[in-house]
Amino acid sequence: MSDRRLGLTLALLALAGLGVSGYLIYVHYAGIKPICSGGGGCEKVQTSHYSKLAGVPVAVLGAIGYGVILIASRLPGELARTTTAAVALVGFGFSAYLTYRELFTIHAVCQWCVASAVLMTALAVLSSVRLLRAPTASPRG
Amino acid sequence: MSSGRGEKERLRAEREAREQEATAAATRRRRLGMLGGAILAAAAIVVALILISSGGSSKGNGGSAGRPLEHVAEVNNLFKGIPQSGRVLGRSDAPVTMVEFADLQCPFCAQYAQDALPTVVSRYVRAGKVKLELRLIAIIGPDSGKARRMAAAAQRQNRLWNFAELFYRNQGEENSGYVTDPFLRLVASSVPSLDVNRAFSDRNGAAVQALLADNDAGAIARSVNSTPTFFAGRTGQSLAQLNPSSLDASGFTGPLDQLLKG
Repeated sequence: MSDRRLGLTLALLALAGLGVSGYLIYVHYAGIKPICSGGGGCEKVQTSHYSKLAGVPVAVLGAIGYGVILIASRLPGELARTTTAAVALVGFGFSAYLTYRELFTIHAVCQWCVASAVLMTALAVLSSVRLLRAPTASPRG
Repeated sequence: MSSGRGEKERLRAEREAREQEATAAATRRRRLGMLGGAILAAAAIVVALILISSGGSSKGNGGSAGRPLEHVAEVNNLFKGIPQSGRVLGRSDAPVTMVEFADLQCPFCAQYAQDALPTVVSRYVRAGKVKLELRLIAIIGPDSGKARRMAAAAQRQNRLWNFAELFYRNQGEENSGYVTDPFLRLVASSVPSLDVNRAFSDRNGAAVQALLADNDAGAIARSVNSTPTFFAGRTGQSLAQLNPSSLDASGFTGPLDQLLKG
């Protein structure tokens, strides 16, 4: 996959992540139940202790992360690529922790959170590949 | 002559290829270093986030039954002198009734208990304007069931509200197994006029089971599947779901004032 396509794919995935986190932020502040198939797992997760970090809904933190990835993925240069990868890796690590909490502490799974975790995983992999495989500057003549 | 020029070009091409390879290798090394740095930085940030996340959950006394409970005097003063009858707090003839479906492990229920309930009690319940009904359900996990059985045993002695509020003020991490018998005994023994041994023997009895089954039936009838869920209305009339704008006092004073006017 070309560098340009990788950048575009990253931007699209980040946009999808913004959609997911935006919906969860809306649900949180509107005080309504998220659309969720089966067993009320989403409400259980969304009303658990782990739905907030230091008082801030984790969906808000996710939206900030996706926003930074979206902007950085459209910028040129190694610093932008490194920033994209670093933020995606943080998102991946924290998503893994939250998934662990869903499965082994809360005993409920929220499809929206799983979708976000999958998006973050894909972003972490693709942004790392993009950082390593970016085209080099033209060699000296 | 031409073979000499050809040789020179070949050597030049080889040199350029070597330089290009060396540049590519250096770039690869630099990028691997950058990725390694990004991974290390990300790992450090994730560890910090996890510490904040799990650190915040070690609030209260949950899981450390050896330590004294927090907020005992505050909670007991809150309810002192207010009639309790089963799951109801307040005067039976209060013009407005508010019902809460809650899980003792639920952090947002604890937030309401801490941030809104004191105002609701002092402003409305103590004044005889509103009566509160607490229906404990178990949706978070096994600890919820264990906790609410003991709460229902306290309910049989008309001490549900003290027990539940004290539990919330000392709530531990969800499903961490902190709801042990020593922890329940600690909470129960801090509730005034509660016969702790009787509560322990009652908690697995048929009477407690019936109370909890009634809570569950109420939750099913009202399609409650998350906590806290509130219903309020004029006493004796049908209750409508109350969706507070926040879980502090401001989320409840407006709707309750409105109901009292009606």
